[in-house]
Amino acid sequence: MSKTLKFIKNNKLLVLVVFAYLFLGVFMPDKALGSLKNSLYYVKEMIMIMPVILLLTALINAWVPTKTIEKNLGKDSGLKGNIFSFLLGSFSAGPIYAAFPISKTLFSKGASVSNIVILLSTWAVVKVPMLLNEAKFLGPKFMAFRWVLTSVSIFLMAYITSKFVKKEDIPSNDISVDSEKNLLHISDDYCIACNLCVKIAPSHFEMNNKKAKVINQIIDKDNEDVVNQAIEKCPSKAISFK
Amino acid sequence: MDPFTLVFWLVTVIWFIVSIIKDKKKTLSSIKMSSGMMKHMAGEIIGILFLIGIILTFLPPETIKEYAGQSSSLITTLIFALVGCITLIPAFVAFPLAGSLVNAGASIVPVVAFLTTLTMVGIVTFPLEKKEFGTKFTLIRNSLSFVFAIVIALIMGVAL
Repeated sequence: MSKTLKFIKNNKLLVLVVFAYLFLGVFMPDKALGSLKNSLYYVKEMIMIMPVILLLTALINAWVPTKTIEKNLGKDSGLKGNIFSFLLGSFSAGPIYAAFPISKTLFSKGASVSNIVILLSTWAVVKVPMLLNEAKFLGPKFMAFRWVLTSVSIFLMAYITSKFVKKEDIPSNDISVDSEKNLLHISDDYCIACNLCVKIAPSHFEMNNKKAKVINQIIDKDNEDVVNQAIEKCPSKAISFK
Repeated sequence: MDPFTLVFWLVTVIWFIVSIIKDKKKTLSSIKMSSGMMKHMAGEIIGILFLIGIILTFLPPETIKEYAGQSSSLITTLIFALVGCITLIPAFVAFPLAGSLVNAGASIVPVVAFLTTLTMVGIVTFPLEKKEFGTKFTLIRNSLSFVFAIVIALIMGVAL
């Protein structure tokens, strides 16, 4: 696939918007100019906040001891487990689907149904860097109110769900591996394209069409370490090795 | 820069400096990871930001006020909530979009409903969630999230 085609495929929305502007520019130049002017304010605000959100996400990732938190989610962890699930969700990076494999792993290690609901919901809604973004565009008061209401709702939802869904209702299979033959495998569904595995072990992983792919199945003594490191570091636990 | 953003910058930069002093390698590799994630979202972010301009040009404040303004009904809120369920855009770009609607005169009730279902209810990710946690769990979690999104929105409308 040529580079241009790949770019279009990966950035459908952007390409669509560019075409919309070109169309307006030719047929309704005043509307195109107006649209640009309207967008400018939001572009400016985004430029001011984006680097700091990126930096904060990175710092949280580096320093929040998620491993310790995960250890406190086991059986009979009670209220403490609920709070730890809430914290883990709040300090994680990536979209909700990235939380599925991690939650599943924690579940098989003994985390309760209510803790899984708390983890998935906080992961989705109340991430710290996102709260700051929300405060920026909608005001601190709006953000604080929504945060409190959402947090209360999440705990209620966890309680209600645990009344209806028992442990046995949740399938116990492991994260599904599409192909039996491949020893080293990346789940396309869960790869969030952070490029980390490619940076750690370029000999084995490659980015292709917004997803990381395994390019080399042969793991020997020389590169065992880097491959293991890539599996360990993957933020959505999308890499499996059988 | 508004005071809020300024404080945010200050705290983060101080933390960054401490982080670099404590563990340079760890800090840099973590930054590489999050910028990798950001790079893949960049096209979407820029696209949405410029889409906001088009929306605001063709949907003047009067129209937005008429359909999603203070007098908007529960139906509007439900529609916004449904749109949130089926949309899969990063929350990151949803906030400027939501902000632009509120600035143009939309009531916060439908906007909050949209923001909450956008992140918490996933129709697109439903099959994935079902695969890992079963139909019952997924159905209950998503329906509860939808109901609570509406409740949160209504309370916000009264409180703010």
